[in-house]
Amino acid sequence: MDIANIQGYAYVGAMGFLIVVLYAYIYHLYTKRKNADGTDYEEYSNMALHDDLSDAPVADRFDAKKK
Amino acid sequence: MENRPLEYDYTVAKWFMWSTIILGIVGMTIGVFIAFELAFPSLNLVLGDGLAEYTNFSRLRPLHTDAVAFGFTVSGIFATWYYVGQRVLKVSMAESKFLMTLGKAHFILYILGVTAAVITLFMGYTSSKEYAEFEWPVDIAIVIVWVMWGMSIFGLIGIRREKSLYISVWYYIATFLGVAMLYLFNNMEIPTYFASGGHGDIMHSVSAYAGSNDALVQWWYGHNAVAFVFTVPIIAMIYYFLPKESGQAIYSYKLSLLSFWGLMFVYLWAGGHHLLFSTVPDWIQTMGSVFSIVLILPSWGSAINMLLTLKGEWQQVASSPLIKFLLLASTFYMFSTLEGPVQAVKSVNAIAHFTDWIPGHVHDGTLGWVGFMIIASLFHMAPRIFKRELYSKSLMTAQFWIQTLGIVFYFTSMWVGGITQGMMWRSHDEYGNLAYSFMDTVAVLHPYMILRGIGGALFLIGVFMWAYNIYKTMSARPIEESELQSATPMGA
Amino acid sequence: MFHWLEKNPFLFSVGVFLVIAFAGVVTLIPSFAEASRPVIGTTPYSTLELAGRHVYIKNSCNACHSQLVRPFKSETDRYGDYSLSGEYAYDRPFLWGSKRTGPDLMRVGNYRTTEWHENHMMDPEALVPGSIMPGYKWMFTNLADIDTAYAEQITVTDFFGVPYNKPVPMKDGSTKTIFMGSTVDEARADALAEAKLVAADMKNQDVKDMVEKGQIPEIVAIIAYMNSLK
Repeated sequence: MDIANIQGYAYVGAMGFLIVVLYAYIYHLYTKRKNADGTDYEEYSNMALHDDLSDAPVADRFDAKKK
Repeated sequence: MENRPLEYDYTVAKWFMWSTIILGIVGMTIGVFIAFELAFPSLNLVLGDGLAEYTNFSRLRPLHTDAVAFGFTVSGIFATWYYVGQRVLKVSMAESKFLMTLGKAHFILYILGVTAAVITLFMGYTSSKEYAEFEWPVDIAIVIVWVMWGMSIFGLIGIRREKSLYISVWYYIATFLGVAMLYLFNNMEIPTYFASGGHGDIMHSVSAYAGSNDALVQWWYGHNAVAFVFTVPIIAMIYYFLPKESGQAIYSYKLSLLSFWGLMFVYLWAGGHHLLFSTVPDWIQTMGSVFSIVLILPSWGSAINMLLTLKGEWQQVASSPLIKFLLLASTFYMFSTLEGPVQAVKSVNAIAHFTDWIPGHVHDGTLGWVGFMIIASLFHMAPRIFKRELYSKSLMTAQFWIQTLGIVFYFTSMWVGGITQGMMWRSHDEYGNLAYSFMDTVAVLHPYMILRGIGGALFLIGVFMWAYNIYKTMSARPIEESELQSATPMGA
Repeated sequence: MFHWLEKNPFLFSVGVFLVIAFAGVVTLIPSFAEASRPVIGTTPYSTLELAGRHVYIKNSCNACHSQLVRPFKSETDRYGDYSLSGEYAYDRPFLWGSKRTGPDLMRVGNYRTTEWHENHMMDPEALVPGSIMPGYKWMFTNLADIDTAYAEQITVTDFFGVPYNKPVPMKDGSTKTIFMGSTVDEARADALAEAKLVAADMKNQDVKDMVEKGQIPEIVAIIAYMNSLK
């Protein structure tokens, strides 16, 4: 088996792996709604729309520590 | 100390805003000048025989590309980062003395680097590799500037209040990482002065790669420099400025994330399309072609997402010149990300390569997409930085139409000229001899070269109007913070 | 898992880096050893040719002229044999260019003479009516940088094993040895000897006088380089 063969198999394997990851990611994006930390992905748009210093963050990084 | 409420600190953003404008004017003026040199070669001697060396097309061409890429565009990237970064992370640079100092030092070093680059290119110090012409001392300065930007990004992220990173920040991070990787590997060079024990010019270096390998690395770089300077950070801008200016949430945030990963993965494979029918291995050429086609998907994913963000708010396109700029920017992005893959198809490339269609394509993207996006971003930022309304809406509208006309002149002339040239090069007469001499193809391009120059000049006029508008904004009517929520307030 | 990655800037950056580096690793590394082997008949550049190549680069000739003949009939008719990878084995950097505002120069040494170049570089339009190429008059007075060419020869020999002072096989079965001086004075003398051969074919008296005095103007070096492109 020469280097080109190994490259070929590695390429096919990597593609398979990446396809699985891609679909897992899509599944994740579309199923993640109001669960434990309560963030729908679409809410992240508000990071641009409500971006004054006085606006409440979409998810406060220091929330856990304050409580 | 008086107890003032904490505010975002735009000092560094403002500095980079000025460097964007000034370097934009410098780079595009050179561009227009060399465009006319191709139409009227006597312009090469405009300052006389004595200075011909420095007004010559070949000496100025790298100056044009580098001034607009690393001057105008990179300044624009830095300016918007120092503005957008604070806002979406909800943390002010004023909260950290270290980041503030770093940001200022970053700007100063950047300006020094640009100055060194301009001087050395004028003197003829070039490595000849496109968009990586700088010799090794300038390369080192660029790496330092880049690392400082990285420290600024991650420093600000480190003290952020917002837990998640907004999609624009993803794109800025990718810009930082991508350019760092590409630049380092493509500029692997050995300074000959030191390697030879002190002979010759201290500035000179020799590439670590030879021939086909050098070409491979260079176009892996060249293509992806386009990705990580002209695409990725510009998407970062549009994902912030379009929703913010229109007051509309991104049409699908999920699509923006998917497009991000798609773009990151696919873009890097496509460099081979610059080397079709060359001496690099066939499979790399084919891979470059195929992935260029695949690249339409993530590119259009972002572009369509932006267009649909305006869903139900189309009247804004009519009423706001700033939205016009943003909308046309994403339209030109769609346009050039379709044109590019078409040119990467082998049979098309056989005609298109080496012709004026290629610079035509580049300028669709750089004028229509990058230029308009940076112009729009700074129009949005200026009133917020100066806390004044934008000086003139009608001036901005006029600028929009003049520049759009300029781009149309540019790409139509380059299309027609480029394809004509490509077809003439390859045509044979009935006896199998070449039908045209090379000079025939030069002569036929003359009118297109003039049209292209006019197109570029119109765009440049628009840039001056933009600079003037922003300059006058500094002394326009002051406004309250509350007026700055979404649509930018503009004077007549 | 994905969500966690998105909130962790460091790991996120690592992820992005892996994704963008992947293509480079796959496409660049495997072809390196393969492509850099010279074909028979390809020799390293002599000191003067290399100095001329630096003049070519200094003036960004590659902004308008390619050095890559593609395998199409129209190109081989116009410019000569199509390019082979091994012909570029000693080209650091490569000078393929990306735009043909002017014609390809890959094999310009086959069909242009020293005298043609001399006249053309002085005033292209006089020789080729309608040409949009500017003249390069300063090359007739600026001096070529032989020392830097010599420094580059030392560097590529030390780092990349470029075979200077070693017999290189030629197409007709003979061998050719490209000389590199062992001191900078030897290199200068070698370059001057070659420059005298070029200057002998030139008409410009100023250039001839300069070479006679031991100075090498840029024009002599770049003509030596262009004559070597075959």
